[in-house]
Amino acid sequence: MKKYVILMLLILPALSLAPAAQAEIYVDGFLQTLQGARLEKDNPTATEFTASETRLQVRAEHFGDAGEFFTRLDFYYDGADTSSYAWELREGYLKFRLGQNFDFKFGRQIITWGTGDLVFINDVFAKDYRSFFVGRDDQYLKAPQNAMRADYYSPVGSWSLVWTPRFEANRLPTGRKLSYFNGQQIVGEGFPFDPPLPDAEFRNGELALRYSRTVGSFNTALYFYRGFYKNPRGVEMIPVGSEFMPQPIYPRLHVYGASVRGPMFGGIVWLEGGYFDSRWDQDGDDPLMPNSEMSGLLGFERQIATNLTANIQWQAEKMLDYDIYKMQNEMAGMYVRDEIRHLVTSRVTKLAMDELLTLSAFVFYSPTDEDVYARFSTDYKYSDELILSVGGNLFDGKYSATQFGQFQLNDNLYMKVTYGF
Amino acid sequence: MRITAIFSTVFLIGLMVFSDALMAQDTKDTKDAQKIMKKSHLAYYYAADDGVAEVTMTITDKRGKERVKEFVMLRLDEEEGGPQKYYTYFRKPSDISRLTFMVYKTPDGNDQRWIYVPSIDLIKPISADDKNSSFVGSHFSYEDVSGRHWSEDTHTLLYDSTLNGSKVWVIESIPKEKYKGFARKLSYIDQENYLPLIEKYFDKKDKLVRQFKAEQIEEIDGVVTMTVRSMENIKKGGKTIIQFSDISYNVGLDESLFTERYLKNPPRKYIK
Repeated sequence: MKKYVILMLLILPALSLAPAAQAEIYVDGFLQTLQGARLEKDNPTATEFTASETRLQVRAEHFGDAGEFFTRLDFYYDGADTSSYAWELREGYLKFRLGQNFDFKFGRQIITWGTGDLVFINDVFAKDYRSFFVGRDDQYLKAPQNAMRADYYSPVGSWSLVWTPRFEANRLPTGRKLSYFNGQQIVGEGFPFDPPLPDAEFRNGELALRYSRTVGSFNTALYFYRGFYKNPRGVEMIPVGSEFMPQPIYPRLHVYGASVRGPMFGGIVWLEGGYFDSRWDQDGDDPLMPNSEMSGLLGFERQIATNLTANIQWQAEKMLDYDIYKMQNEMAGMYVRDEIRHLVTSRVTKLAMDELLTLSAFVFYSPTDEDVYARFSTDYKYSDELILSVGGNLFDGKYSATQFGQFQLNDNLYMKVTYGF
Repeated sequence: MRITAIFSTVFLIGLMVFSDALMAQDTKDTKDAQKIMKKSHLAYYYAADDGVAEVTMTITDKRGKERVKEFVMLRLDEEEGGPQKYYTYFRKPSDISRLTFMVYKTPDGNDQRWIYVPSIDLIKPISADDKNSSFVGSHFSYEDVSGRHWSEDTHTLLYDSTLNGSKVWVIESIPKEKYKGFARKLSYIDQENYLPLIEKYFDKKDKLVRQFKAEQIEEIDGVVTMTVRSMENIKKGGKTIIQFSDISYNVGLDESLFTERYLKNPPRKYIK
């Protein structure tokens, strides 16, 4: 009898708490299956699938008076990779406010800033091109960073500071599902791509700053970044036996930039610029390190008809100390890019059937690199829960060494079914 | 047979237009109509100085399939009949949950809109000069939700009538400039609270294409509020019902809530 009383005493408070706890933690997410196949037969990749995965994303959030937490947890089985179960904490952060003007966000988080549409200058946060090129949802283009973010708001603008103690690199094709250019040729299986990250030292953390202010209906911003190239743009010669082998590495980088965006000509106009300061090749004379660059972006978007929106962007990237680069690459018999690399992009989005059907196309075209990347997708919301999607990624290029030309064997089509809950 | 049908339709429409015009001649009171529409606009779109409400939107397509959207809406009037700020936080469905949306509405029509997509931490200004485009896939347009300024149409009081026991004014509105949304609108305005009980939208062939209805009106915090409204697409079929609940007025929403900071960090005081 006494046992029961004790048990009851233990259970009752638990029962009374349970509904409250249930009500306060909000959970939702989706289950998704994505299947994708290559169109090129002679791709050197290990698999013909560009995607064959099932993914469960669970989102949970809780908020109290002082702060809140949010987690986005993915469990997936990737049959096109190594046929195994895996999970990833896409986001897991806590957010709180100190005083009236400070907001803090600590933990694993997705961070975006800048004005470009899928073209990034001052957004030096990790991207996941392995996901981007195979048809995963847009949210997967951004890779999470373990970071501490502080925002300070004042009447004369807002300051943001993001400190990522451990450098987070872009996720690039590894040769398993997608082939890539390794400096000599397009490679796939047998060429594992695993450049070493900068040492886990305090000074190798990434610092990103932004000051932004709204002037009239325009949003203006200044940016600074101190860290490393997010792609392994540098090469280190490492001794292997009696020879030296090239090893891709992430060279040190500073970025200084500015942007402005606002309504104009019946649409939205954005202008962004940045100076990429290659810290390990200040004079541009180190053939193993990237030269500094100036980058500018101009974009315009407007609704051109009911439910039809289009934008166009033009980016120009000027390499500094180009003559030295050109001479070095010509001597080495390597691809020589133009001094100014131009990139034109366009996105067209059409909504149909009471916005249940979304047709979207995005094209990147570089007249100087002579390469192109086109992505298109069709999403149909069959019900509030069920979304059916098909799409494709097409690459072409004259040279194997260019940004999109290197992926020319990776053309793929995919289908995706998502059930949201 | 067909010719007869066409002829009689044309004749009927002509008669309708003529009779309406005749009525207009009778009352001749466009000035009063102007005043009524202004008061109606203020009663409907500018209730109190600010407001917070939970919204459930049920969209039924022409095949009878239902879709439900749930969101929280915050509204701040900067000036009665003038600029307003709107903030929307989506709860459901799952693919847009936590997405936020902000509008700076100005009566001259140069609205500014932003969307924040939390899964990619992306703030995006939306270029949208087409106010007739659907509001989040419903049968309501952006303009139906935020209001078309009364000065954009010429209003004529056609006649007094009763609708479900309420005395109403029937007012005809014709856009001053050619307008895609409608060629003619008939509004049945409640004479007591100035809320539009029915709105009929006609196209340029004077065919009824859409019909708005106040389904339920309640008094909340002393403000007569339309808690349930519907919009039916008569021409293509389909209907949307918007239901407001947990409404509170004059909660003292601060202007700072309608900024990038809160677009990214929903104000938990109002959005739980």
